[in-house]
Amino acid sequence: MNSTVSFFYFLSFLTILSAVMVVVSRNPIHSVLYLILAFFTLSGHYILLNAQFLAAVNIIVYAGAIMVLFLFVIMFLNMKQDNEEAKTNIAKIAATIVGGTVFVILFGAYRKSAIPAFNPENFDSQVGMIENLGHILFREYLLPFELASILLLVAMVGAVMLGKREIGERHF
Amino acid sequence: MIPNPNIPEVSIPSVIQNIPLQHYLILSTLLFVIGIIGVLTRRNAIIIFMSVELMLNAANLLLIAFSSYRSDPSGQVFVFFIMAVAAAEVAVGLAIIVMIYRNTRNTDIGFLNKLKW
Amino acid sequence: MYPIVLLSFFGIVTLFLGFSKSKNILLPATLLFLIIALAGNFLEWNKGPLLYFYDMLRVDNVTLAFNGIILLSAFMIFAISGGFQDNPDSEPAEYFGLMLFSLVGALMMVGFQHLIMLFIGVEILSVAMYVLTGSNKRNLRSNEAALKYFLMGAFATGFMLFGITLLYGATGSFKLEQIQGFASNMQVGSESYILYAGLLLLLIGMLFKVSAAPFHFWTPDVYEGAPTIFTTFMSTVVKTAGFAALFRLLSGSFTGVYGFWWIVIAAIAVLTLLVGNIGATSQNSFKRMLAYSGISHAGYLLIALTALSKPSQNAIIFYSLAYSLSTICAFGVLMLVSKEKTIGGQPNEYYDAFNGLAKQNPLLAFVLTVSMLSLAGIPLTAGFWGKFFIFTSAAERGIIWITVIAVLMSTVGIYYYFRVIISSYLKEGDLVKIRVAPFYKVILVLATFLTILFGLAPGIFEGLI
Repeated sequence: MNSTVSFFYFLSFLTILSAVMVVVSRNPIHSVLYLILAFFTLSGHYILLNAQFLAAVNIIVYAGAIMVLFLFVIMFLNMKQDNEEAKTNIAKIAATIVGGTVFVILFGAYRKSAIPAFNPENFDSQVGMIENLGHILFREYLLPFELASILLLVAMVGAVMLGKREIGERHF
Repeated sequence: MIPNPNIPEVSIPSVIQNIPLQHYLILSTLLFVIGIIGVLTRRNAIIIFMSVELMLNAANLLLIAFSSYRSDPSGQVFVFFIMAVAAAEVAVGLAIIVMIYRNTRNTDIGFLNKLKW
Repeated sequence: MYPIVLLSFFGIVTLFLGFSKSKNILLPATLLFLIIALAGNFLEWNKGPLLYFYDMLRVDNVTLAFNGIILLSAFMIFAISGGFQDNPDSEPAEYFGLMLFSLVGALMMVGFQHLIMLFIGVEILSVAMYVLTGSNKRNLRSNEAALKYFLMGAFATGFMLFGITLLYGATGSFKLEQIQGFASNMQVGSESYILYAGLLLLLIGMLFKVSAAPFHFWTPDVYEGAPTIFTTFMSTVVKTAGFAALFRLLSGSFTGVYGFWWIVIAAIAVLTLLVGNIGATSQNSFKRMLAYSGISHAGYLLIALTALSKPSQNAIIFYSLAYSLSTICAFGVLMLVSKEKTIGGQPNEYYDAFNGLAKQNPLLAFVLTVSMLSLAGIPLTAGFWGKFFIFTSAAERGIIWITVIAVLMSTVGIYYYFRVIISSYLKEGDLVKIRVAPFYKVILVLATFLTILFGLAPGIFEGLI
């Protein structure tokens, strides 16, 4: 087994472990930190898959912007870990069964269908590079790209409208 | 075949040569399922939302894996859009949570039981 | 194509109009914008299927018809909102801007030809709706509805995305045409189960958005908690767009695997009908009843999807139109009445608020009655023909049993729709004469007139598409 392969398994293990810790941690801050760890391991996967640009963007956008926002809100609201009342065990077991069923169904689907392996003849290692992606993004995907700006505008207007303090409300 | 001087000769990444695509499918499905279980078992709105982020990232990982194995860039372009959408959702979601906190001082979704869950 | 561009632009203009001192200009301006968008929409009528931007968007007469329904409903809803003048806390420019943007999302869902357009469209529509649901900031019920809608919507997005990913993995493309090519050419014995799994997850995500059972549980709470005007928007525009998207997805990509998905959709349709109709009977709040009625109408529309043929396509369009018109009337009257009768400062949305409505307000009672008859599917209203077309299209496809269940369930519907008619005509109440703005009255009368017109002569519509 060569070193990249063992590195893949190590990264996968770390990804799953941190994902599980996100869900089971009692303290929201720990959850956020584990989620950031998960994003870093995912970026590791993207580098292994030769998608360098997305690996960088993943760190910048997810770990850098989204998770900081999460952390900011959690600290802003001063969330304590004992705030949350746990769901009953029955609810938890039921949820786990639902999740397990989804996994088994999907796993069965993967087992039963042929997944084409990669094709060494027309393999292009430059696919994940910024130049290549830019060409596609600004040509074929121009319309959704422009319309995604509407989505961001909606989110901005909405967040300001909901989040801003009304006259007479206290700050926090 | 004459190598193109502009593009450096990069060999096929060793992960793609050695790891079957199946493993990526299973890994991302596991992440997806962990996300589902998180949404269903937790009550804290912020943690539920983080579990949803896990589900989105499972899709990202799988899209990139498919796209790299097939040398088809459109999967990776899709990931951009998912990131934009995730950012937009986070902004709105956290604004909603802050708004509720102003009114109730709590972010536990079971706390407000005027409407039954 | 034109309305998407126009509405994006007008949305931004509306936000800027919010800076002006007088808020009176907003309503006429947005109504004008919508009329321009409607006109732009029908410029492309009968131009044949047009594909835009590397096959991202397809414009044909079906797209235009759905667009027309969405824009017409939006026009009526904007008009009855009255510019949000009565509430000093409201921010009309933001509301109108967000609604115009959400229409862009809806139109993307109607015309998509590439899964990214579906995804972005659904997200624009949903994100705007999350915000509008919570727009009544001081009201805890509205807040909680927004949170619930948001969390469930994001959860559904996760399913949708994973489904899209698996479809991409199976077929190697996001384009409907190429997915269609792959799905139709699968050999027996070597089917791609990944395609099936992807389709199922994508359907779950979409069915969440159109509130079909068993993914409906957020609907009553969200519809009840949101401000009524946005509930109207949700139950007409969002539902029409959702079904247009489902129809386009299934007819554009998955006719080849009809044998796999039709039974799934049929089972969900039956379950939705049961949950919606039986749930509605036990409600005391009119608004909550309308939420359940929305669920049950999703069930009827799903039946049309299982048939998936040319007649069922027309049936979906006709039904969406009839349902939207009646729903706007019902919510419009509810808004007037509940504002008049309040309990503890909150609008009274229970059935008893309507007691004695007919005595002082015969016009409102008539509008309400016609809309209830249409929702129940009584002959001489548009709703009857909508149901009729759906049932015949299902029967033509040979799916009889589901039609029988649907007919049974629509008789259950008569019970809860007639409750409010009985309240307003037969019960005694102290409701005084409600002042209705003339424009509001015009919209209600117009919607009622169209409901009766299509009920008397459904052929007018048939010939159009």
